[in-house]
Amino acid sequence: MTTEVVGESSRARRLGGHVVLGLLSLVCVFPIYWLYATSLRAPQDVSSLSVLPWPLSTASYTEAFAKNDVLGMLVNTGVVAVFSALGQLLVALLAAYAFAAWRFPFQRLLYLMFVGTWLVPFQATMLPNYVLLSRLGLLETLAGVIVPTLCSALGVLLLREHLNSFPKELLDAARMDGRTSWSALWTVVVPTLRPALAALGILLAISAWNEYFWPAMVLQRSNAVVQLGLRSFMGTEGNDWGPLMATAGLACLPVFALYLVLQRHIVNAFVRSGLK
Amino acid sequence: MSRIRLQGLTRRFGAVTAVDDMGLDIADGEFLVLLGPSGCGKSTLLRMIAGLLPPTEGRLWLGDTDITHLPPQRRDVAMVFQSYALYPHLSVASNIGFPLRTRKRPRAEIRAKVAEVAATLDLTGLLDRKPRELSGGQRQRVALGRALVRDPGAFLMDEPLSNLDAKLRAGTRAEIAELHRRLRTTTVYVTHDQVEAMTMATRIALLNEGRLEQLGTPSEVYDAPASVFAATFLGSPAMNVVDATVRSVDGVLRAEAEGLLLSLGIEADIPDRPVRLGVRPEHLTLTPAGKQGIRAVVTAVENLGSEEVAQCRAGHTAVSVRGPRPLGVTSGEAVTLAARPDRLHLFDQNSGRRLAWQAASVPEPV
Ligand SMILES: Nc1ncnc2c1ncn2[C@@H]1O[C@H](COP(=O)(O)OP(=O)(O)OP(=O)(O)O)[C@@H](O)[C@H]1O
Ligand SMILES: [Mg+2]
Repeated sequence: MTTEVVGESSRARRLGGHVVLGLLSLVCVFPIYWLYATSLRAPQDVSSLSVLPWPLSTASYTEAFAKNDVLGMLVNTGVVAVFSALGQLLVALLAAYAFAAWRFPFQRLLYLMFVGTWLVPFQATMLPNYVLLSRLGLLETLAGVIVPTLCSALGVLLLREHLNSFPKELLDAARMDGRTSWSALWTVVVPTLRPALAALGILLAISAWNEYFWPAMVLQRSNAVVQLGLRSFMGTEGNDWGPLMATAGLACLPVFALYLVLQRHIVNAFVRSGLK
Repeated sequence: MSRIRLQGLTRRFGAVTAVDDMGLDIADGEFLVLLGPSGCGKSTLLRMIAGLLPPTEGRLWLGDTDITHLPPQRRDVAMVFQSYALYPHLSVASNIGFPLRTRKRPRAEIRAKVAEVAATLDLTGLLDRKPRELSGGQRQRVALGRALVRDPGAFLMDEPLSNLDAKLRAGTRAEIAELHRRLRTTTVYVTHDQVEAMTMATRIALLNEGRLEQLGTPSEVYDAPASVFAATFLGSPAMNVVDATVRSVDGVLRAEAEGLLLSLGIEADIPDRPVRLGVRPEHLTLTPAGKQGIRAVVTAVENLGSEEVAQCRAGHTAVSVRGPRPLGVTSGEAVTLAARPDRLHLFDQNSGRRLAWQAASVPEPV
């Protein structure tokens, strides 16, 4: 009898929890739903407030593709995201490994300076970076978008924390087994840190994918990445909502896909790095 | 030829001297146990031999090669770590084969060698598992296998059994000893467990605060401890050590203290000399009250199964007696303890070093 009462009340509490969570997720999901709903309305219904887009129409998508090279922009954005994420991962991995596994003079000072760059606001480095890119002739190129992002203090910081809790005896064992420090990095450290690297990589890729401001500076004359393509539908005489939503919807898809595929990895890695 | 020689090997960490002027000559095929309390520098010494830690001073030879400045991968030694240090992302087979893959051996050779080692260590059924799917004892054997597979000139082992439970430890101890008997590979084995040291070692190097306290076979170290430290470190319960005075009475030396009178069985005539007198618990016998012996009161009797230990109080010092069960005494009883003269150990009162009788002179520090 008692157990049943306990069961009832805990079930009720669980139900309440689910209701709250359900409402919250509704709040989060609704704007995304509205985005896709709007993109699927016929051109004359674009500002309709009906919850279901009916009749369905792909006119917005056709218009978006007609006006911009959406596919090309998506590919370009993908290139930026992948190279920027991989580059940052590589730099962060090497730097964090050096800081965690080696002892060298001025180590603390160097590390603090490295991490200190994190505190320098983007606005302060923006102009010097711009001038440098212009001297190097990298303006209006994807490389110009990627290169200045490569050194990320965040990545170094996170990976060093992971590497500090990495058992040092494994590195010693690898050395005893004949590996150099370099080969131990690739055969022992990287495979063991895979979840953390995956999580960080996804984080970096998504933020590179969503970046607007820096590409807007470097690529002033073109719409080479999709976030810039969006602005071509915003005009002084009003926004072209249909194709704007269609493009934005397409821009979100890879992020969703990445998240769905690697969701478990991401959650795992963050839970674990939280516990350490 | 994998004789290991150390000369003046020293390692300092800032103000701490972890290993101090260590000299050792480890013969080919020997099983040398580095024994000592926690923090005495055993791991530091082993890591210097491995090449994982550069010495502050001193030199190191493997065979005829000076390896002082060689990195670990160019020294022909394999190491077993206390935490086993298995690669978590690799299967048992890949873990064991790892050192061979480093050396770019042909795949077939690696597979054959791994299978051979796995068979030796009874790991054949586990080759596809990941380390986290193994028990402690199995992990330990994989770690051993990873060292064995290389056929190294020497094995270095840092407390490889300390993470195992008592029963498994006894079994694995026997296995490692057996392995050494078969392979005859020079082994340096770190432990703070005296049973491991006594049963496995061909020689024991007893360390204390970074210095070599005594080097000898297990029986030498047990039967003739070079210092009070060595005497009390080995043996369970520890050797009884009491302050006493060596005095010559009627031309025969004897040790005296309050409530203590033991003949040393040496004919000599010397001035009185304060010493520290040591006698092992199993060498004390209960005798009828008489003039000679140690007068004590039993404070507790401990049952060890086949034997009993009587904890006694003699004056201000605690003395333990060990013998077959039952000892025939009860708590609170007054007893007299006797020991044969050749079972008594004398140590210098100040330095704690062993004193040996040399005819025609006073006892001298060794
Ligand atoms: N990296 C280090 N930095 C500073 N001091 C160290 C370092 N490694 C060891 N020490 C010091 O050197 C001394 C010897 O340490 P070591 O690890 O060799 O002891 P040990 O005999 O192996 O002890 P245990 O039985 O507990 O493993 C200790 O006092 C320790 O604090
Ligand atoms: Mg140690």
